[in-house]
Amino acid sequence: MNATTPRPGGSAVHRLLDELFAGIPATPDALDLKEEVRGNLVARATELEEAGRTPDEAARIAVDELGDVRELLDEAPAERSAADIAAAHRVRHRPAFVVRTVLISIASGLSLIALWLGSWDVFPLATGAAFALAGIAGLGLGWVIGDSLRQETTVHHPMPQRRALLFGLAGALVITGLTTGFTILVHGIAPAWLILPAVGTIAGIGLFSYLGATQTNRTKAWMLEYGRNEHEIGNRFEKDPAAAARFGIYTMLIWVGAFVVSIVLYFTTGWTWAWIPYVVGFIGMMLLVTQMLFGEHADKKGDDK
Amino acid sequence: MVQDSDAFAADLLRGHTDTIVLGVLRRHESYGFEIYKTIRDATGGAYEIKEATLYATYRRLEKDGLVESFWGDETQGGRRKYYRITDAGRAVYRRNVAAWSATRDIIDSLLDGSAVN
Repeated sequence: MNATTPRPGGSAVHRLLDELFAGIPATPDALDLKEEVRGNLVARATELEEAGRTPDEAARIAVDELGDVRELLDEAPAERSAADIAAAHRVRHRPAFVVRTVLISIASGLSLIALWLGSWDVFPLATGAAFALAGIAGLGLGWVIGDSLRQETTVHHPMPQRRALLFGLAGALVITGLTTGFTILVHGIAPAWLILPAVGTIAGIGLFSYLGATQTNRTKAWMLEYGRNEHEIGNRFEKDPAAAARFGIYTMLIWVGAFVVSIVLYFTTGWTWAWIPYVVGFIGMMLLVTQMLFGEHADKKGDDK
Repeated sequence: MVQDSDAFAADLLRGHTDTIVLGVLRRHESYGFEIYKTIRDATGGAYEIKEATLYATYRRLEKDGLVESFWGDETQGGRRKYYRITDAGRAVYRRNVAAWSATRDIIDSLLDGSAVN
């Protein structure tokens, strides 16, 4: 489409392609098809050249194999109305998804309520049962998060499955960590055991941070389209793996630090101040995210790391 | 010279081009030549679906909303137009495969026995 673009893959292909499309009105549709055919012809000609053909032979064979492309353009592409487009992009929920989301949400919600009421001695709740409720609530809500995200946000551009699963896992870790931590406190179990739910929660927060920081729409069709005209978009972590690694290490340090300080505060001052380090840690991490994602220009002014 | 049996098989294959393309795209998004090559390799190179036929298929599938296309960002070689299957495409694919299995069973049972001679 762009006349100044260098055309690799042998000039013969492009000459034959021009001949093939000679006399066809240069409508957007025809140009689009021509570019598509060009890409595929170059790929086929390259394959033939690798098999030992000369570039000219390869181009001729590739074009001969193509068949009649002209007749494709005879039928005009149908205009799509706004209603068609809206219908094509509508998110259709599957019945099974709706049913399991409702059931799991109810189970998780009831577990949370039972856990809460049990802690107030509204009814007797055995320690084992409390842990089971804590687990059901955490895993259930994590499942709902992952499952919902896995459902498409738009029909054509769903969230990748792995990312949706990781979001679900992060949610399950955080919520299960909180509910089991709550159970440990309420049921008079040695506070040292808090380390397990704390590690789970921190891991979940770390995972959330990672997912949030790497969330981008760079693979969406319209971003790819945009990227061909405007360069230099993208995610810093994508372009600079070292920055992503640094971010991971800093995040880990912040949360381990917050955890240790909070344990120390717990044993010295009790619960009054022990939660403060987590708030500080969260603020620190958000500052870190902004600095690392958007601080790129500052880096460029200084020496390039 | 193409033998009659070959022409028969090629016809059968051509009749299912849409479903075959959907089947290729069901595994991963792909571009014209790669789809062509996948089909060619699967048939052992014996039968070809003409590329022009495939372009017609892509246009039809896209018009029906069964696939969607987007341009790749290759800097080397020609730019590629990629196709990706939609939910509607997957549904049609499953329906066609089910219809094919049913038809194949019927034809198998009708032709069984006589074919052995």
